Amino acid sequence: MNAVFTAIFICSAAVLCALAPQQFLPAMTGGVRAALAAALTLFCVYAVWMGLTSVAEKCGITREAAKLMRPLCRKAFRTRSDEACEAAAMNLACDLLGAGASTPFAVKAVHAFEKEGNGFAQKLLFIINCAGFQLIPSTVITLRAEAGSASAANIFLPSLICSAATLAVSCGLFLLTEYISKRVRDGRGRKSGASRCRRVTKAGR
Amino acid sequence: MAAVIPVIFIAVMAAAAIKRVNVYAGFSEGVEGALKFTLSLLPCLAAVFIMCELFEASGLSAMLVKAAAPAFEFMGVPPELTKLILIKPLSGSGSLAYLTKILQEYGADSYIARCACVCYGSSETVFYVSAVYFAGLKTKGLLRPIVICLAASLLSTVCACALLKVM
Repeated sequence: MNAVFTAIFICSAAVLCALAPQQFLPAMTGGVRAALAAALTLFCVYAVWMGLTSVAEKCGITREAAKLMRPLCRKAFRTRSDEACEAAAMNLACDLLGAGASTPFAVKAVHAFEKEGNGFAQKLLFIINCAGFQLIPSTVITLRAEAGSASAANIFLPSLICSAATLAVSCGLFLLTEYISKRVRDGRGRKSGASRCRRVTKAGR
Repeated sequence: MAAVIPVIFIAVMAAAAIKRVNVYAGFSEGVEGALKFTLSLLPCLAAVFIMCELFEASGLSAMLVKAAAPAFEFMGVPPELTKLILIKPLSGSGSLAYLTKILQEYGADSYIARCACVCYGSSETVFYVSAVYFAGLKTKGLLRPIVICLAASLLSTVCACALLKVM
């Protein structure tokens, strides 16, 4: 992120400096204003969903749900932390429903993984979230209906297929590269370790 | 389908009331958490948005779109979608605005609009998400997951455009 930010910032600023230097500051303050507007929208969504989950937490619903997810979670993320499992499970549930409040739980899970030094799980969760997998693409359907589509929901099936493909490809690629880099690190000739790693990779998929 | 979400809310509230949990206090606690979280997010958001705004204002994004369009066309992606595909990893609200524009310009049931919808739905704001998730952490080797995400969403875009020709 640091590299991307620096590169884009310097390039854009240089071009602006040459072509239209008076636009430089307005563009930056405009960016902050857009960020504030986005933060306000996000706060509205987060407030509703985190309010709900806080109530659910108090009466033990999330704990029960996390218990159900725990075996799967341990295998997929190679973690032992219940706190991380609970947050990751909430994050994935929100993703599936398209509830829009998945980010706070993802951040909580990433921090919990950080405590046990589990970089693998952090990156896997990041990749799953970036595939944008949703059961019901509610935003897109609403937009299409507003634009006067005859059958707004017929985007459902292609969308599901494509996001499932994205998820499968990105997770597969990640596990593969993880496996290769681990093998390179371990050095050749330790086949037992490699085959164990392959089993875990399959389970993760 | 729209009834699912209210039903979840009612079920949770009812379960809490039965278990004699203080629903009001619990809910406001959650909102407090949301407020803290949004505030912790704001610095990242501001930086990312400043970057996007500069990128747009300098005309570099328009140049990039122009340069990338033939490559996308070669892969079977309509050139009208180039901007959407390039904006999506950077900014959620920017790409949403552009998707709305496409829907209005080409009609919601046109091939281009349908492609745009699927592309929008099956990708995420990768750079923004990575900035938010890993803010203040020491995780190393993030380049590889980011590249993988970008490659996968490009692939799904190509698939979507091919798939929607027959569906």
